[in-house]
Amino acid sequence: MVFPEMEDIMGQMGNFTKIQDAKQRYKSGVIPYATMGYWEPDYQVKDTDILAMFRVTPQPGVDPIEAAAAVAGESSTATWTVVWTDRLTACEIYRAKAYRVDPVPNTGPGTATEAQYFAYIAYDIDLFEPGSIANLTASIIGNVFGFKAVKALRLEDMHIPIAYLKTFQGPATGIVVERERLDKFGRPLLGATTKPKLGLSGRNYGRVVYEALKGGLDFVKDDENINSQPFMHWRDRYLYCMEAVNRAQAATGEVKGHYLNVTAGTMEEMYERAEFAKQLGSVIIMIDLVIGYTAIQSMAKWARKNDMILHLHRAGNSTYSRQKSHGMNFRVICKWMRMAGVDHIHAGTVVGKLEGDPLMVKGFYDTLRSTDTKVNLQNGLFFPQEWASLNKVMPVASGGIHAGQMHQLLDYLGEDVVLQFGGGTIGHPMGIQAGATANRVALEAMVLARNEGRDIRNEGPEILRDAAKWCQPLRAALDTWGEITFNYTSTDTSDFTPTAVAV
Amino acid sequence: MRVTQGTFSFLPDLTDRQISDQIEYCLRQGWAVGVEFTDDIHPRNTYWEMWGLPMFDLRDAAGVMAEVRACRETHPDVYVRLTAFDSTRGWETVRLSFLVQRPAEEPGFRLERTEAEGRSIRYGLSAYAIDRPVGERYKSKQANAAQGDSP
Amino acid sequence: MSIPGPAAGFEAASAEVIDLKALQADSDIAAPMAELDRDLVGLAPVKQRIREIAAFLLVARARERVGLAAGPPTLHMAFTGNPGTGKTTVALRMAGILHRLGYVRKGHLVSVTRDDLVGQYIGHTAPKTKDVLKRAMGGVLFIDEAYYLHRPENEKDYGQEAIEILLQVMENQREDLVVILAGYRDRMASFFVSNPGFRSRIAHHIDFPDYDASELLAIAELLAAQSDYRLSPAAREAMIEYITRRQQQPSFSNGRSIRNALDRARLRQAMRLYAGNAVATREALQTIEAEDIRASRVFAT
Repeated sequence: MVFPEMEDIMGQMGNFTKIQDAKQRYKSGVIPYATMGYWEPDYQVKDTDILAMFRVTPQPGVDPIEAAAAVAGESSTATWTVVWTDRLTACEIYRAKAYRVDPVPNTGPGTATEAQYFAYIAYDIDLFEPGSIANLTASIIGNVFGFKAVKALRLEDMHIPIAYLKTFQGPATGIVVERERLDKFGRPLLGATTKPKLGLSGRNYGRVVYEALKGGLDFVKDDENINSQPFMHWRDRYLYCMEAVNRAQAATGEVKGHYLNVTAGTMEEMYERAEFAKQLGSVIIMIDLVIGYTAIQSMAKWARKNDMILHLHRAGNSTYSRQKSHGMNFRVICKWMRMAGVDHIHAGTVVGKLEGDPLMVKGFYDTLRSTDTKVNLQNGLFFPQEWASLNKVMPVASGGIHAGQMHQLLDYLGEDVVLQFGGGTIGHPMGIQAGATANRVALEAMVLARNEGRDIRNEGPEILRDAAKWCQPLRAALDTWGEITFNYTSTDTSDFTPTAVAV
Repeated sequence: MRVTQGTFSFLPDLTDRQISDQIEYCLRQGWAVGVEFTDDIHPRNTYWEMWGLPMFDLRDAAGVMAEVRACRETHPDVYVRLTAFDSTRGWETVRLSFLVQRPAEEPGFRLERTEAEGRSIRYGLSAYAIDRPVGERYKSKQANAAQGDSP
Repeated sequence: MSIPGPAAGFEAASAEVIDLKALQADSDIAAPMAELDRDLVGLAPVKQRIREIAAFLLVARARERVGLAAGPPTLHMAFTGNPGTGKTTVALRMAGILHRLGYVRKGHLVSVTRDDLVGQYIGHTAPKTKDVLKRAMGGVLFIDEAYYLHRPENEKDYGQEAIEILLQVMENQREDLVVILAGYRDRMASFFVSNPGFRSRIAHHIDFPDYDASELLAIAELLAAQSDYRLSPAAREAMIEYITRRQQQPSFSNGRSIRNALDRARLRQAMRLYAGNAVATREALQTIEAEDIRASRVFAT
């Protein structure tokens, strides 16, 4: 890729040399991070290194290379001043090394955005505790994000070496075993979140679950903020939901599930709820991202031990993943969550109501599902990632999607995904069962057509209309929502679109 | 009731032409296709009887269709499905599975509830047809009627 | 859709007039026919028969289009001739021609012998034969030395079971596959006498004559050229003599014998170059010399 402005900007970058003389290097005082050894442009990345790529917006007057070195320093061994105790350690090893700094296309002078840089940093594997996302993140997204020398900082991507990856359990169940357990193959799974999100009693709540499952969905889901509130306590919800699940299984002969949210204030309470869900025969439980990385890893271990599918609702992620200049990219969350061991994660719909640029979403899905992710700058994948036989995570597409978009959903997201139609099921004019049936018929008709070799991207609406001729619920769904789209510009977009090159 | 196991159970029963097109899709992906049948349709009955081994190295759906027809002829009143196996690393599992025959009548499932402590309920699911012995669980409507009429 | 075919040409034609040339162009059989001409030396009568069959099938398509009596034509064939006369190669091209004309859906060739079809014990043969047939569906099943299926001296031979299954499929699934039986002329003849079921289901017999000496030389030069070798003038003379001598030997098998002779000449060429100078010119690397051929045992007598 060629960016005409790149040469100019490269010219503005400082020329730093690592201080080799020990006496000079460890003299008390403050010296640039770049000369301390945190900037090594010739560094040869080791197979066991953990790599991170940050989007850095330096403060005015701060050299981009010094900013990158500072990020490397602050996320590993450095503090603001020289310390002699460095010399008691093999500090050359423990120092993270910024080894590459590239200007971000379409930023800097002459553009609407102030200059940003992609900084590549390598970390030695011994900087991190095996099998601990908490420890990994305490360094990589710890103090450094508040560091004054950078105006904004965003963690864009990471490469996890096999040696470190193998210290993590990975998804408790994974796509393959989830499908085998559910006996459902060759098509996306269908789900819905019970609505209204809050206020239903346990008994009324279970009604929604039964209707949706009997109508044709595979899963119904608690929402992220359904835990144990005055209007419905958790045991009551679990009992009514499992009655609904079992009744629906008897009515259809299929395996069905309801994601029982076990999120609670303490681990003890979460374990108690998970145990009860298991006793009742549920195939799946769910947690929220806000419980924290350690709690997620604990629940993943519990899920593996108890043959339970673990669904993760990404509640909270948009506080730090949505804005392009600061925070972290969701693809890194995807990576960490695959390591931490969840089986499902909400990862965008492309066409629905929530944030999700098609190229970015493709990158998230690849990160969750592939066995060997390739570099793809357009999709935001800056590093290759061999997944070392960690299970695959099933992405979940949820938020403002409906049966009329089925061809786009299948085309963009593929078949290993849970499509969740909350409003698109419960808001159906003929009732919840009819809403579920409309979605299932639309889905199966589309998969059938795709397998027959039809061009669903273009023929999709026609395929849906044909199925609606014999399926009245689908006809009603298309009449109600057929034209609904959410066309807003995404905030988190690719830096490497073909148009950017053409400018 | 209509058992909705399998990938295309919400669509009208597939014609042989449609089945053949799905087999062609499986063969294009390099999957081996097998024919399986059962008269125990419990959702957790994983191991249906195999009508021969999964068929490897086929280029055309006609070979699988011949086995589908042969299985239907021998077992006209049970559930028959096609199962496609993928041997690719990272999958090594079933990738598509759908019914290609179902009995004329599907009496459905009995749900047994056993009260347990703390309002918990233990659920037991069984197909009504399972009460009859293997081989006599599903009969065509004509056969049932003839039996009823006989003195 | 799964059935590829020459649809375009047929759509364009009116119900009364059919442009056969356009039909031929649409079905794109020119390519396999040209390959046949290019890759196979001689075999004029074979090529003529294939042209006839192709024309017949093309016209059958046209007749079907205008509503004249049609129905799936029987396409099973018998290829007879001595070893090395090009039967397998022609079968491969035939599969391509049938595919382009829309008579087989996939156009692949499955080549088998008795051992692939007939089992060792009771109940073994039917699954084996059916497995082969299923793999051949959509293409052409080529059974080499088909007469070995039939062993009149052993009445309990399992070959008979394979024959019965084959006959049934050849009759009932004519649109699913084409069977080509191949072997020596005389043995095939007696096979058909004792198995009239096969004879009646075979629509086209093609006889593969032995190559004459000049054709065999052309084959040698073609094979050499295909792998970037060439015969020096002296080597060419040696090859002519080799062919004359080799043809007299009992195990002579036409093109196959020439291919083997050339393979051995390449080995000798390599030894010669290796034993000689440490450097070899491009010219030397691609030239077969007379001595590479004359070292053959064929010249020993």
